[in-house]
Amino acid sequence: MKALTIIWIALPLFIGFSIYLLPRIARYLALGVAIFSLGYALIIFNLTSTFEFKLLDNFGVILVIDNLSGFFILTNALVTLAVLFYCWQSDKTAFFYTQIIILHGSVNATFICADFISLYVALEVISIAAFLLIAYPRSDRSIWVALRYLFVSNTAMLFYLVGAVLVYQSHHSFSFVGLRGSPPEAMALIFLGLLAKGGIFVSGLWLPLTHSESETPVSAMLSGVVVKAGVYPLVRCALMVSEVDPIVRIFGATTSLLGVGYAVFEKDSKRMLAFHTVSQLGFILAAPEVGGFYALTHGLVKSSLFLIAGILPSRNLKELKHMAIDTPIWIALVMASFSISGFPLLSGFGAKVLTMKNLLPWQVIAMNIAALGTAISFAKFIFLPHARTGESHVKAGFWSAITLLLGGLIIANGIYYEAYSVNNIIKPLITIFLGWLAYHLFFQKAIIQLSRTAEEFNHLIGVMSLVLILLFWLFFGLGNGLQTTANSYLSFQILFHHIL
Amino acid sequence: MLEAFIFATILSGFFGLVFKENLMMKIISMDVMSTGVIAYYVLISSRNGLFTPIFSDNTTNNYADPVPQAVILTAIVIGLSIQALMLVGVMKLAQNNPTLETKEIEKNNTPMKS
Repeated sequence: MKALTIIWIALPLFIGFSIYLLPRIARYLALGVAIFSLGYALIIFNLTSTFEFKLLDNFGVILVIDNLSGFFILTNALVTLAVLFYCWQSDKTAFFYTQIIILHGSVNATFICADFISLYVALEVISIAAFLLIAYPRSDRSIWVALRYLFVSNTAMLFYLVGAVLVYQSHHSFSFVGLRGSPPEAMALIFLGLLAKGGIFVSGLWLPLTHSESETPVSAMLSGVVVKAGVYPLVRCALMVSEVDPIVRIFGATTSLLGVGYAVFEKDSKRMLAFHTVSQLGFILAAPEVGGFYALTHGLVKSSLFLIAGILPSRNLKELKHMAIDTPIWIALVMASFSISGFPLLSGFGAKVLTMKNLLPWQVIAMNIAALGTAISFAKFIFLPHARTGESHVKAGFWSAITLLLGGLIIANGIYYEAYSVNNIIKPLITIFLGWLAYHLFFQKAIIQLSRTAEEFNHLIGVMSLVLILLFWLFFGLGNGLQTTANSYLSFQILFHHIL
Repeated sequence: MLEAFIFATILSGFFGLVFKENLMMKIISMDVMSTGVIAYYVLISSRNGLFTPIFSDNTTNNYADPVPQAVILTAIVIGLSIQALMLVGVMKLAQNNPTLETKEIEKNNTPMKS
C-alpha cells in the first residue's frame, strides 16, 4: 500500500512532464493516469482501517488515507476523466494535457496529506497549474483572470505559511494534529489561507469571476475538484481536532447562505453555477463527518452542469428563455439540476439527507434556507423551453463525459441507500416545490442586480485582512472558552451585514 | 524586536498589495511580503542558537533548527516560480495596457453587467 501510494502520487507528475515530449499520445497518457486514480480510489474503499504513515521523522511528510480521502480522490478521478472525454476531439495541445494531469496529481496529493508543509506545496502546485489552464486561451481577459487568481491565492498562502511555522514552533511538527494547543493566531492564519484557497465565505468571492470566465472544461475542473483541495484540509482538521469543528461548521453555514444569496439573483448561467459552488462547499463543511459523500456528488453534478452550460446557445438566462434547447441536452440539464436540488433517485438526494442528519441544531435553519435557495435558482434551468431541433452540433465526447458523470450520480445512490424512507423523501420534495413556487411568483421577474464591488481585485485582497481579524476573534473566543457558538454566530451575521 | 520588524515587513508588503495601483508594484509588494515570511522562518529556526547543525565531535547545544530552514527553501523556490509566471503575464498584458494600472485592466477585462 505504501509503495502504491507513492507511485500514485509521483505518476501524474512524471507522466505530466513526459506528455510534453510525446505530444501524439498525450490524450492516452492522460487518460491512463486518471484511470489509475480511479482504481486507487476503489482500493481505498476496500481498506478496513485508516492507513497512516510518516516519511522521514516526525517533522517529515505525514499521509493519512481513509474513506474520506477515498471520496475526494474518486471525485477527482471521475471529473478528470469526464474533462478528458470532453476535450478528446478538440484541438487542445499537449501543453493543455500536461497542465490537466499535473493539476490532477497535485489535487490528489492534497487529499491524502496530513501535514501543513506538504499541503502547502500541493496547493501551490495547484495554483500554478490552474493559472496556466485559465490563461490557456492567451487572451487579455483570460490572462487577467488568471493573474487575479494567482495573486489572491499566493497572498493567502503567505499568511498560511506564517501560521504553519507558528504551529511548528509550539509542537516541533507540522502535523494537522498540532492545531490543538497551537496559539490562536496560528489557527487563524492557516484558516485564512485555506478559506481563500477553497473559496469559502467572503474570501471566496474571487471564485465566481474566475470560474465563469474560464473555458468550459477548465471551469468544470476548477469547480468540480480544485476548490475541494482547500476544503478537504478544513474537513480533515475538523475531524482530527475537535476544537476547530464548530468554526468549520460556522463557515459552512454562512458560506452556503452567501453563495445562494448571490445565486438566486444571478442572470448569467455560468456565474450562477459558480456561486452555487460557493454555496455547496458550505454544505460539505457544515457536516464534516459526511463531507466526503457530499463532495463526490457535488463534484459530479457541478462539472456536468458546467459542461452543459458551455454548449447552451447563450450564457444569459433571459435570452435562453426565448431559445429552444435541443431536448437531449435539456434532459441532461434537468437531471443535473434535480440532483443538486436534492430530488430522490439521484445521489444529490442521499448526500443532502445525510448532511442534514449530521447538522447541529443551530445549523438546521440556515441549511434548509440554503437548500430552498438551491431549488429556486435551479428552477431557472428546469423551466427553460426545449424542442427536438435535431441539429446536433455537439461532439460525441460531450455525451460520453455527461454519461460518465450522470451515471456516477445514479450509481452513487448505492452509497447511502438507507436515505430512501418516506419521511426523507417528502422533505426534499416540499423544499423543491416551495422553491419552484417562489421562482414563479417572484424570482422569475425579479430584476435585482447585486453589486459586484466585493469582487473587485483590491477588495478581494483587502477583505482578507477583515477575515483575518474575524478569525483571530473567533479563535481567541474559542481559546478563552467564553464565547458560545451561538453568540459568535450572531456577531458573524452583523459583520456579514457590514461587508455587504 | 526582530519579530516586530519582520511583521512590519509582512504588513507593509500586504498594504502595498492593496494600495498600489500599478500591477508591477503589486508584484514587488508581494515579493516584499514573502521576504518577510521567509525571514520569519529563519528567525524561528534561530531561537535556540545560531550554530550550523553539522555533526561533529565538539557538541554545543545552541544549534539553529534545520527544519524550518529546509521547509522555507521549498517556499522560496515556489515563490520565485510564481513571481516569474506573474511577470510573464504582466508582460503580455502590457502590450495592450501600457500603464499597467489595475483599475484600467480590470475595467477592460471584466464582463459588463448584463
